[in-house]
Amino acid sequence: MVVMPPFPAASPEPFPEAAAPLEEACASTPRDMAATVLFALSRRREDDRRPALIAAPRAWFGEYGRPYGPGLAGTALILTPVSTAAEALWVLEQALRSGAVSLALGAVDGASLAQTRRLDFAARDGGSTGLMLPRSLDGLSAARRRWRVSAALSAPDADDPRAPGQARLIAEMTRGRGERPGAWMLEQDDETHRLRLADRLAGFGPAPIAGTGAASGLAA
Amino acid sequence: MIHALNPAARAAGLRRGQTQADALAMIPHLLCRPADTAADDRALEALAVWAERWSPSVSLDPSGEGLEGLFLDITGAAHLFGGEAALLAQIRTRLAEAGTVARVALAPTPGAAWALARWGEGRDPVATDETVSDLLADLPVEALRLDDRTVTGARRLGLKTIGSLYAMPRAGLARRFRDGDAIGLVRRLDQARGYVGEALTPVRPPARYRVWQAFAEPLGDIEGVEARLPELAADLTRALERDGQGAKALTLTGFRSDGLTTGLSVRMGRPGREVPIWMRLFREAGFGRLELGFGLDALMLTADLTEPMAARQGALESEAEAKQAESLAALIDRLTARLGEDRVLTPEPVDSWIPERAERLIPALGRIPAADPAEAGRRPLLLLDPPEPIDDPLFDLPEGAPARFTWRRVSRRVVRAEGPERLSPEWWRPRPDGREVRTRDYYRVEDGEGGRYWLFREGLYGREEGRAPSWWMHGVLP
Repeated sequence: MVVMPPFPAASPEPFPEAAAPLEEACASTPRDMAATVLFALSRRREDDRRPALIAAPRAWFGEYGRPYGPGLAGTALILTPVSTAAEALWVLEQALRSGAVSLALGAVDGASLAQTRRLDFAARDGGSTGLMLPRSLDGLSAARRRWRVSAALSAPDADDPRAPGQARLIAEMTRGRGERPGAWMLEQDDETHRLRLADRLAGFGPAPIAGTGAASGLAA
Repeated sequence: MIHALNPAARAAGLRRGQTQADALAMIPHLLCRPADTAADDRALEALAVWAERWSPSVSLDPSGEGLEGLFLDITGAAHLFGGEAALLAQIRTRLAEAGTVARVALAPTPGAAWALARWGEGRDPVATDETVSDLLADLPVEALRLDDRTVTGARRLGLKTIGSLYAMPRAGLARRFRDGDAIGLVRRLDQARGYVGEALTPVRPPARYRVWQAFAEPLGDIEGVEARLPELAADLTRALERDGQGAKALTLTGFRSDGLTTGLSVRMGRPGREVPIWMRLFREAGFGRLELGFGLDALMLTADLTEPMAARQGALESEAEAKQAESLAALIDRLTARLGEDRVLTPEPVDSWIPERAERLIPALGRIPAADPAEAGRRPLLLLDPPEPIDDPLFDLPEGAPARFTWRRVSRRVVRAEGPERLSPEWWRPRPDGREVRTRDYYRVEDGEGGRYWLFREGLYGREEGRAPSWWMHGVLP
């Protein structure tokens, strides 16, 4: 039997579906990077057909693997291997401001508050979403929300109990401007391949009150 | 073997092709340096690009070692430099200033120009269609670019000058001096006199759209170059506009007084002719990359790749989509100008079963293909390319997914697994390292901590003698 690792209690607040102009998502452990990238890609609006851009040091692609089209669910991609953090920030700013991409994803560490503020403005100008993937959430940042993402055991597969089911992950919001921090379990949808809120019955957090479909506020 | 000599050595009676021992016996204090023909070729090629200031079409002399030379096609260009004589004088002086002693001649054919430059009388000989035969007549037959055997043969017949060939019956000459390894006598004669054409291959394909500007005072700083460019660019857009063309690639070439050139290129995903956009791309590519040396005395801007502008319209559905495509193209152009084509990439699906071959990264300048959603969830989000070896796989069942494995020094216990998905080798495509291609069985496995991986076993149990199957990590699923 698998023991569930201790995660923060599920938040009673609704999951903030709409992304802020600039957010940060940090993989709990290096192993959680694929879940973090999926989370980041799911921050795009579903009907947004603009491509996504990923700026990361060349070594990042070797360390974690390169985003692979067949696993990406029809997202057009632009990959820019960069050599310095400054270059990555420049690429992100250009992409966000142009409004040509739905999402600009940057594996950048050590961006200053001023630099993240520039990105925030650029994202608002271009109507795009910027997502930084720093190695830690310690630094100062103008990002509206900060997430910590961990892969979770997959949903049970109805046809084959021995097979991995739909991918699941825990997205913990450690900071949100004007929002209460919280954690949500998300699950990859079979058809859209995007993340949706996982069923509360999946053994994580309080079950919804029968009949109302709303999460219980008492458990928080 | 003596490869090349300076004037002093030539005066001392040494010649090309002599062995070094012979030469040292004649001149004991002879100074020798090893020949570096590759460096010679590079230098000559650099000089050819530099000579593009006088002509868009500059070719290397194919005659070979010891006969280095350049052909400039100056059709219609001489008037820009104050006439033919002035042009030749300018070429010679500029080369001399850059430290290259050269002889220059102008003629209606490459063959005649070659002969006059090497054997002609006086400084900067010029031949026209009317005078070319007369001017060639007094030159020795060697001037026709013949091999040694043909020259000796002609001499033996008393044919010493080119003029002595004019009167000879062509059939007899052709029979006696056939085209062998080298081009024969009659062809060479006809080439020189312009009776048959001779094709030359320019070092760089001549740009159809090309503007340039020379400066009395060399430009010594980057700002000066940047300030001059808009004017050049405006000239180029006018030329493009006349033909309804837009540029997809531009090169700015700066000509230095020391015989070298410096250049900066930008590429665009779609044709355009807007000066501010070009300026922005050049700035992003970095004017600082230009090496000005002691200053540039001329700038040239060429449109290396053009496309009709009108053809682009109509393919897009709505105005919003067109605007969207426009801003994406502009973004990619800008990123490409700064980072280079090989760092702004997009995955392109390829028709292959082998996962790492099913997609390749191409420069995003062209277009951005959308990925095929059909296999999402079954395929990793992050692909490790090349696959990484898995250590110590342990099995519950002999032919199945491992129950435990070690990857990147961490041991992982498999709690769920699905597979195999068998991918047969594409035996018709050999591996680059020449190893035999083997069948792969892919498994999706999940460890006790929510990590999901895409593993494969290469090879089959008990089928291939002497080779056990091996296990590989190919990617991480979300």
